[in-house]
Amino acid sequence: MTTTFERLSAILMKDFKLQSDRLTVDAPLESLGIDSLGTVELLWNIEDAFQIKLPSDPVDLPTLGDVVRYVDELIAKQGVVLAPAPPGEPALQAI
Amino acid sequence: MRRVAVSGIGVVSPLGNSAAEVLANARAGRSGVHRLAIPFANRLTAPIAATANFNEVVDFDPGKARMLDRFSLLALFAANQAVQGAHGALLDVDRERAGVFVGTGMGGTLTMDGGYQTLYGEQSDRIKPFTILMGMHNAAAAWIGIEHGLRGPNMTYSTACSSSTVAIGEAWMRVASGQLDVAIAGGSEAPLSPGSLKAWEALHTVATMDVEDPAASCRPFSKNRSGMVLGEGAAMLVIEPWDRAKARGADILGEILGYGQSNDASHITRPSVEGQAAAMNAALRAAGVARQEVDAINAHGTGTLANDRTETAAIRAIFGARADQIPISATKAIHGHLLGAAGALECVLSLLAMQHEVALPTMHLQLADPECDLDYVSNTAREGLAAQVMLSNSFAFGGTNAVLVLRRAG
Repeated sequence: MTTTFERLSAILMKDFKLQSDRLTVDAPLESLGIDSLGTVELLWNIEDAFQIKLPSDPVDLPTLGDVVRYVDELIAKQGVVLAPAPPGEPALQAI
Repeated sequence: MRRVAVSGIGVVSPLGNSAAEVLANARAGRSGVHRLAIPFANRLTAPIAATANFNEVVDFDPGKARMLDRFSLLALFAANQAVQGAHGALLDVDRERAGVFVGTGMGGTLTMDGGYQTLYGEQSDRIKPFTILMGMHNAAAAWIGIEHGLRGPNMTYSTACSSSTVAIGEAWMRVASGQLDVAIAGGSEAPLSPGSLKAWEALHTVATMDVEDPAASCRPFSKNRSGMVLGEGAAMLVIEPWDRAKARGADILGEILGYGQSNDASHITRPSVEGQAAAMNAALRAAGVARQEVDAINAHGTGTLANDRTETAAIRAIFGARADQIPISATKAIHGHLLGAAGALECVLSLLAMQHEVALPTMHLQLADPECDLDYVSNTAREGLAAQVMLSNSFAFGGTNAVLVLRRAG
């Protein structure tokens, strides 16, 4: 089963053109070149990929691990059952 | 007032993406107007436009291409080219005395149109997060400022079809008066969204398509003219004090002598002879140039019934009998109407025409119109015309008329 981190990594590789070796749970978003505007864009993509609705409240997400936790919480709260990752999406190993 | 030199030119347009290419095509009268191949074309009465051969994905990294509307990417491309050509104009300059002046009529209309399509067409609330940043009119100027670290005035002018003439004129005033030591000035427009194309069509200003030769649909000053053709592109200048350009051995491409403006204050679309003449007068006064010194004119020449006869009368009103001796070029026939970028592209064409001693042709002038009876350099370039001083006219919906007075370098 595809983990949240793997799905998140797939977004970062596809839309932000980041190499997989830079993507670790403790990687700060800033170090990946994702500033406050980039985070807005990332969250927009996350809504689509995880089929969740993000609250409008501001949220502080310094690392990729924080993003994963935030997304997992919303998935649980909103009772989302994720469809399998589409074919062709990179099968990443959890780090 | 200081003399102001043009030391860099950047252009991306339906006539090509460099000064050399644009001049060659304009000289040969090769039209950049063509039948539109977009899926939406079947909803258009006249599916024609003048597009720039510009692929943002090739010219910019994906991160930037994703965050900028096409009008900003076109502007940035032209600005970068102008800066590169100006060979060191931005080096050793006080960055707070370096400004950006951009004209645009419709700003990020492609982005806004995409947002409306999502909202109303697809009935989705998922508007892209950068929509505001891409759609805002000052985005192009802002990105040019960021790219080149220019911390002086960063200005955007939106006066419809005279926007970039106003932008260049306002930049000229700042440099000439000593407020700024360098400026990037010009215009950009990417108006070919479905919503915009339909809106222009609804106004009944767009040319009927010439079915046999769509490229010849825009026919300024011809009796059978039927309107304008929308175009996209950007043109930018680097301008700086003449003495500074000379001192660093810059290749000076021309001189801006002055700029004048007027407001029709009469009708939102109908042009006025008095208003257009007043702008030419104001420009000549600002430049300190006598009427008899004007050797050629790049006309606003949109190909609409109203503009072309009004502009003819306004030129007559200013120059009297001598008007018959002044070659007048209406290059919109081949590059289309770039709206807020039109004046900048035509300023570039005027500078290049003087530099290369040619009067550019007004193409597709098939039938003489008694109300348009000047020398329009019809259909063939006039070589060997060593014009020293040219006017570049831009008139706009809303009535904001603007005219630049330009001089050949050297």
